[in-house]
Amino acid sequence: MSRAPLQIRVGNNAPRFQATGQFLSGTHASPQEVTVTVDEDIGALTWVDGEGETHSWPFPVIREVPDQAGRDIMVLRNYYDPVQRLILPDREITPRLPNRTHRAPVTKRGRLIAWAVAALASVALIIGVLVPRMADQMALLIPTEGERALGETTLGQIRAALDETGLAPVPVCDGAPGLAALSAMTDKLTFHVDLPVELNVVVLDHDMVNAFALPGGYVVLFDGLINAARTPEELAAVMAHEIGHVVSRDPTRHALRSAGSIGVLGLLFGDFAGGAAVLFLTERLINAQYSQAAEETADIFAHELMRLAEIPPSALADMFRRFQELGGDAEGIMAHLSSHPQLRDRIQAAEATEQVQAVSTLLDPAAWNALRAICR
Amino acid sequence: MTTASPDPLSTEFVGRRWPLFWLTLKTGLLTVLTLGLYRFWMKTRIRRWYWSAIRPGGHPLEYVGDPFEKLLGFLIAVVFLAFYIGIVNLLLMFASFTLFHGNVAAYLVSFVGVIPLWFYAQYRARRYILARTRWRGLRFGLEPGAWGYAGRALVHWLVTILSLGLLMPRMTFWLEKYRTDRTFFGTERFEQGGRWTMLYRAMRPLFVAAILLLATITVFLTTQDPLPTALLGALGSILFVYGLVHYRVESLRLLTNEKRLAGVQLAVDPSALRVFWITAFGYLLTGLAILIPGGILGGLFVLVQFPDQFATDPNLAFLSALPRWTLVLASVLLYFTIFLLWSALTHVFVTLPVMRHYAARLTIAGPHHLTSIRQRPRDSAEQAEGFAEALDVGASL
Repeated sequence: MSRAPLQIRVGNNAPRFQATGQFLSGTHASPQEVTVTVDEDIGALTWVDGEGETHSWPFPVIREVPDQAGRDIMVLRNYYDPVQRLILPDREITPRLPNRTHRAPVTKRGRLIAWAVAALASVALIIGVLVPRMADQMALLIPTEGERALGETTLGQIRAALDETGLAPVPVCDGAPGLAALSAMTDKLTFHVDLPVELNVVVLDHDMVNAFALPGGYVVLFDGLINAARTPEELAAVMAHEIGHVVSRDPTRHALRSAGSIGVLGLLFGDFAGGAAVLFLTERLINAQYSQAAEETADIFAHELMRLAEIPPSALADMFRRFQELGGDAEGIMAHLSSHPQLRDRIQAAEATEQVQAVSTLLDPAAWNALRAICR
Repeated sequence: MTTASPDPLSTEFVGRRWPLFWLTLKTGLLTVLTLGLYRFWMKTRIRRWYWSAIRPGGHPLEYVGDPFEKLLGFLIAVVFLAFYIGIVNLLLMFASFTLFHGNVAAYLVSFVGVIPLWFYAQYRARRYILARTRWRGLRFGLEPGAWGYAGRALVHWLVTILSLGLLMPRMTFWLEKYRTDRTFFGTERFEQGGRWTMLYRAMRPLFVAAILLLATITVFLTTQDPLPTALLGALGSILFVYGLVHYRVESLRLLTNEKRLAGVQLAVDPSALRVFWITAFGYLLTGLAILIPGGILGGLFVLVQFPDQFATDPNLAFLSALPRWTLVLASVLLYFTIFLLWSALTHVFVTLPVMRHYAARLTIAGPHHLTSIRQRPRDSAEQAEGFAEALDVGASL
């Protein structure tokens, strides 16, 4: 290998660049040893290949093939030729190549954009239109046992997702006196109505001030909510609202929707970001943002249920106020409710609706204390 | 060997650990920061690096895969898979809850439904990788045939499972032959020679392990003595794991040595014991290196969960005085640090040394036959590795 070091040319006696390189023509599997020189007149690398053909690559079109493991050689390509390669034995020529690290051309940009749009559109269509439509139909068709199993499974998933210790799902509270008080409250509340599904009220040992309904008659209360309520009536009001969702089968639709959407989002984000998408959806499920109309219907149902149980519907307004007071301090969840401008309307509605006089207290103090201690 | 060439080409491996470590760490970080979008670039760059490190006959391989192509292929896969995962799975879920009152049936059917797609994806990914691999300026290639491959793979797996693994060499051989006979270098087609029964040699340690494990059960049933049972069982299990590695490495050796390309003959002579040792030691080293950030993360985690416990300790009180969000943020950062370190270190301690070992043991006999080979046209391979990416087939490279 004979090569002079690269220098600025001064006069006619300046040393010239010369190197013995390997030229890959991209037509056959025999690398050709070529003598590469610089054509200073046009500013190009030039050499004669094995077939006697002269190649001349102007400096600006020369790119270095990136991410090479062996730094002992330099692999060059021509912007306008996808297959030819020139391999130089050292990196001496580097300062002469102004666009060495520029990108190779992006092929098929139009197709890429078209498929990106198609992918997003199909995901949007599936999550936004097809899955909800199908879920709405399925919620009407699913038999009671199936719905209950769906609720049970979803509850298990939510309990696992809410767990912060990484050890076990969030426990279900089962203090016997508390359960007795809870069941007394549920019985009084539903004594006058014939529910389409059997209720299954569950208390989770978690500080969140929240309650939600799941398919198959599940009403889930958090310990945080029970302790945020000042009277049994306030708690009963939230329960009545959730029973309203159970009756309308809102949670069934919701659970089926999320079952259809979780996988699609996981697919889109890949491995570890997909896990975040699943958590996000679980959060959506607890924090079920049903439609405005669904919430209003559940409220109206709750008013009626409370009147029948001789609880003043204004207790619901009291509980909503409690959420407002807790505001941002309450952990998660009901926060969206408290910041929601509609909450004021809902408080007004609960106060404007026909009230009844409370005949007796819903739970005596002993039972109420037992219920508040259900997770202890 | 019938070729007259006296000196076969040997293979050089020029990749060093540090550059690879920085490349994987840097690209991994970008992947995290872009919510996973950069993973197409990460994969391309890491592959480009590995390929360029391997120099059969002194000439580096070149990987010319394009991240945009990969992204495009992934988007195509999303269009189809979103339908399957969204609609079909929802229907399955509904049917499963309606008929069986649980979701096990749905998961099972859904899983079985994905299996053919998984093999399809594997073949398509291989086709893309070969179409974007060059050596001495010529492209490799794989003929279309992904569904044929998926069908054959399904039947072979079924037969292998039904034969309790005894017919595994048959599967390994015929699937490799299907792929190899459709593989090209330039204009020339590869050919897989040999017979499937030759792979039984590679199964010897597995057979010994099976006998040991059977003996373990016999000893346990006859003597009920825990000590010999445990010893035999441990020995059998270790040998079984080694047997799996041995089978992979040995079958690769036997199959490669029977591959032909227009008079050119490949030969690879890896040591199964060496590969087993590199893998075990590599993961051990990686695990040890992860222990440090892992320990800190564990400590922070305890602190976030039980802040009150530390308030009383004067040395740690300052920690509980920190706002909770700083601890949560630190935990999240550490989690990603561990994630990134794990992937970078397994590249450095496992993938690179294994690849170097294979490369060092690879020779190409009869290289003068290569001169007649010409370039093949570009395979647009539009789906790239989209399905493999979406289904997470063969995660490593």
